[in-house]
Amino acid sequence: MDGPTPSAPISPMPRHSPQWGDRIFAVLVGLGGVAVLVIVFAVMGVLFYQSADSFHAFGWQFLVNTRWDVRHNVYGVVPFVSSTLLTSAIALLIGFPIAIGSAIFLTTQAPRWMRGPIGSVIELLAAIPSVVYGFWGLYVLGPYMRTTVEPALYRYLGWTGAFSGTPTGTDVLTAGVILAIMVIPTIAAISRETLIAVPISQKEAALSLGATNWETTRVAIVPYARSGIFGATILGLGRALGETMAVTMTIGNHDAVPTSFFSQGQTIASLIANELTNSNGPLQYSAIIEAGLILLFISLGVNIAARLMLWKVLRVERGSTE
Amino acid sequence: MSAQGTDKPPETIKRQTSKTPLYAAVAIVVVVIIVVAAGFYAGWFNSKSTTSGTTGCAPPSGGSIKGAGSTLVYPLMYQWETVYGGGTAVNYESVGSSAGITDITQKTVDFGASDAPLNSAQRTALPATAVTIPESAGGVVPIYNVPGVPTLNFNGTVLAEIYLGTVSNWNSTAIQTLNPGVTLPNAAISVVYRSDGSGTTFIWTSYLSLESASWESKVGKGTAVVWPVGSGQPKNAGVAGYVQKTPDTIGYVDLNYALNGGIQFGKVLNPAGHYILASVNNTASALKDANPTLPSGTGDWYNVSVLNAPGVGDYPITSLTYVFVYQDLSGAYGSSYTKTQAETLVDYLYWMVTTGQSYSAQLYYVPLPASIVAADETTIGSITFGGSAVPNSCGSSV
Repeated sequence: MDGPTPSAPISPMPRHSPQWGDRIFAVLVGLGGVAVLVIVFAVMGVLFYQSADSFHAFGWQFLVNTRWDVRHNVYGVVPFVSSTLLTSAIALLIGFPIAIGSAIFLTTQAPRWMRGPIGSVIELLAAIPSVVYGFWGLYVLGPYMRTTVEPALYRYLGWTGAFSGTPTGTDVLTAGVILAIMVIPTIAAISRETLIAVPISQKEAALSLGATNWETTRVAIVPYARSGIFGATILGLGRALGETMAVTMTIGNHDAVPTSFFSQGQTIASLIANELTNSNGPLQYSAIIEAGLILLFISLGVNIAARLMLWKVLRVERGSTE
Repeated sequence: MSAQGTDKPPETIKRQTSKTPLYAAVAIVVVVIIVVAAGFYAGWFNSKSTTSGTTGCAPPSGGSIKGAGSTLVYPLMYQWETVYGGGTAVNYESVGSSAGITDITQKTVDFGASDAPLNSAQRTALPATAVTIPESAGGVVPIYNVPGVPTLNFNGTVLAEIYLGTVSNWNSTAIQTLNPGVTLPNAAISVVYRSDGSGTTFIWTSYLSLESASWESKVGKGTAVVWPVGSGQPKNAGVAGYVQKTPDTIGYVDLNYALNGGIQFGKVLNPAGHYILASVNNTASALKDANPTLPSGTGDWYNVSVLNAPGVGDYPITSLTYVFVYQDLSGAYGSSYTKTQAETLVDYLYWMVTTGQSYSAQLYYVPLPASIVAADETTIGSITFGGSAVPNSCGSSV
């Protein structure tokens, strides 16, 4: 009965249109994917092309030269790489414990009514524009560091040599502290997600064995989320490495390798912000671009590490549910 | 289990809130419309109140020219483009002296402005011959923040030593000797400099090089140098702001910026042996007394200096500031450059160095002496378009 009915001209319509729709859809999303690739290659291409002058002039010397000398047109990237790594290290050293502490508190210790609001506040911290952090760092944190924190560090830890020099409140330490505040929300928010993803069975198993809250957290929860927390930390580090505005406003913009936490410095990002638009000639411009390329490689390395870690945590989760 | 029980309320909350973005969007649009309307009503968006007239020139109407560079000269440039009439749109961007030189080199502007003359590398980088036209002058002053001290005396040697880091405490004998009777604090000096490539830095480091052999050999002069000590802050505003809020600092800013902002600055010893507190008058007299030998418009201006003028009352840290223009406009910019644009540019340059000078003093700039104006007029007269000199409508008077 159904066979001979003239449904032939009708049935192709619903069959064809979704195919066309699918094709258009595929082309559109494909364009999106290609666009991302094109953008990445365009950025890389321009960076390589524009840094060619500098690379030809200095070669690998660029990576080990500690002088950034506009007058003699000789450039080395060491001051900026060292400041970038130092401020990011300070940021992680201070920011990581606070971020992890707040993430663990929110997932295991905090009363239920408190979790939402504090979680939102952490996300709010991430939404504050960096120039506002910079402004706060310049006018509030910097003077406080100069008058209170740094003299105390100088008095008690000055003998180590790491806290030598004049406490000015405009130095790598202040920039590091500002960065710490900026990476806390990144690390805390992602760590919280990872900790929430820990199966309740893990916790129940530990508790049933008579573990205390501390032991449960230490033995059952944190190890399970370890890779995710590491990934979160790497993402935080990525933010610290590339942060520009807040660092420019607090680090002192001095083109030299920092010798103590009270030294003024210049990160790669702040170098670009300060000197690119008013560089003194094509070679300086090219050298700044090459420094940017190096920052890109550092960030790329960090991102690849984060990707590997996140991939690992996903694999662990899948394995446990099976 | 309780977690499953609490799963539902958030969903209903979500459904309720799903409408609020729409309301919020409508509210935002309404607010934006109101703000923009209010802005129009208040005249915020009228680019400039073009009070035309008073120019003395009659440039071709509808011309539009663009300049970029020195931040030192920006307030004056802004005043000029505001009062300059004849339906000419002048747009000057204060991007910094180094960027101004880059812009003229890349031919993205009609004139570049810098407090530092072109050095030999910059001259060779130019795609065509450019002329150097000094269009104004100013001073650079040391500013400091030492709580509870009166106006301090400095000399070039001590300033150089402070910036070298060899004099590092406010109560060091070097500073104390210049300021007898002043109680200076036992505090480390924080040196502040410009983090951007700056003509002000060029003037400052030129002066320090002139005064201190060790500064000249270790650091030298330039729009950006390798600073032995200190921290960098962007623009005059960054340096002045940082110095004002941070005790025990020293920095340097343009005289006009300091006078405009009511910023306290120090006296500097001049070659005649007097401590001079900079002012428009003693900078102007310095410019007159220095009486530099000027090269031709296309010549090398790098070593033109009006520092350390010999007069008794002259302020020592004084400098000319320059604009750079291509001499053969059609040759440099190609066929897209119109005759109208060339005439507009030449008229504006002519007006700047003549009538425009009368606006200097009120903004704490130094009017050019007649000898420099005369040289400028010759230079501007040498600018050509399509092989012939560009006429100006301002008449040939000083």
